Amino acid sequence: MWDRLRESLDVTLFWEYRVILLRGLLQNIYIFLTGAILATLLAFVIGIARLNKHGTVRLFSTGYAELFRNTPEYVSLVWVYYVLPVIFSRLLATKVSFSPYWASVLALGVSYSGFLSETVRAGILAVPRTHIEAAMALGMSRWMIMRRIIVPQAIRRMLPESLNQYVSLFKATSLVSLIAVEDLMYQVSMITVHEMRPLPLYTWAALLYCGIIVAAAQSIQLLSERWRQRGWA
Amino acid sequence: MLDNFNRLVIGNLHMLGVGLSVTGYVCICAFALAVVLGAIACLVRLYVPFIRIIAIGYIEFCRATPIFVQLLWVNYVWPELFGFPKSVVGAGIIALALQSSGYLAETFRSGIEGLPRGQREAGLAVGMTHSQILRRIVTPQVLLVMAPSIVNQMTVVIKSSTLVSVIAIPDLMYEALKLVNTWFEPIEILTSTALIYVLTIFSISMLAKRVSDRFRNKFGLAAHA
Repeated sequence: MWDRLRESLDVTLFWEYRVILLRGLLQNIYIFLTGAILATLLAFVIGIARLNKHGTVRLFSTGYAELFRNTPEYVSLVWVYYVLPVIFSRLLATKVSFSPYWASVLALGVSYSGFLSETVRAGILAVPRTHIEAAMALGMSRWMIMRRIIVPQAIRRMLPESLNQYVSLFKATSLVSLIAVEDLMYQVSMITVHEMRPLPLYTWAALLYCGIIVAAAQSIQLLSERWRQRGWA
Repeated sequence: MLDNFNRLVIGNLHMLGVGLSVTGYVCICAFALAVVLGAIACLVRLYVPFIRIIAIGYIEFCRATPIFVQLLWVNYVWPELFGFPKSVVGAGIIALALQSSGYLAETFRSGIEGLPRGQREAGLAVGMTHSQILRRIVTPQVLLVMAPSIVNQMTVVIKSSTLVSVIAIPDLMYEALKLVNTWFEPIEILTSTALIYVLTIFSISMLAKRVSDRFRNKFGLAAHA
């Protein structure tokens, strides 16, 4: 067993393929960044719509959030990659296909917009009612109140929680290898097929992810602490 | 569309049903194991001074590693490293349990630490031993406060369980993808599968909300998920 343990923690093979693995990790990071932008934009739209005065708008946006919060990421990934192109092809009567990259951005972005919209909603609700009334008393329009009073304060309150959601989104990017995006895990399994040494490769892949995410989570905690001390969050 | 639905989904309902039962089996086993492991990790972290650092490392590793990476790691590395699990089902259950045990350990810990100090002191004052306090005073109250988060963790297990199809456990997702590869008609099969998952997870999280509301009313607890 000690031999096996030493074999598992042997980093030379992992280091030998560092260029390929790093290229894979970059793919993860690109998907994470584009997905995070998409998720944030959608989350603001949905989060604000969930506080709309019209019941139908509220119903639809709440339905959207609940639907995508409760769908497993793998299922939505597969659905977007296999089903959505077929539906579009039939509707438009031409052949439509998504690249795995954009399918994963779309699937993960939409999935996490459900979670983030909850954060946006909570952030907006946390803005004191009196601030809005003061802005109204000054004669600001609804749009101006949104832009100048609500959004800046809501964003500060949302920051710690939304950063945690981004960490989850980064974790979920490990799934994209399943629809053949050439990400870190895809490269790891390719190298495993080539070298027949799964122990060090999978162990170090797990440790690498663990390291990145622990570092991210720790710095988020530090930042939130500092924001709280400044009275921001 | 409806023809396809009848032919593909209704015609293969037994396969999807078998898959769903495998999903259920894996989830229940994984969740039970996760509760046990999480409780152990939490108690070690709180009450055993010397190996606390191991428990912290374990919890952080379980929470920080993506479930897919963990699944492949357990499936490919563990059999050679530790000599178990012997089957893919075992690997799937262990991987799901590892991930959830990390989250559950933190849930338990925040529950225990959130308990007012006076409760424990009152227990000591009436002459209870440490384990008696844990069993009679801490555990029942912590379980009540934590019930909603524990149920929510169950939905996370079901969500993550879709991935075990990757290591060839014949769960619902596996059967659905097999049907897609047989008939090349993804729309009806994958949409129905997605709906089955959404409805299951949604009803469990609704149940969690209902339970938390009831506890709040009945016991006057500030339960928040």
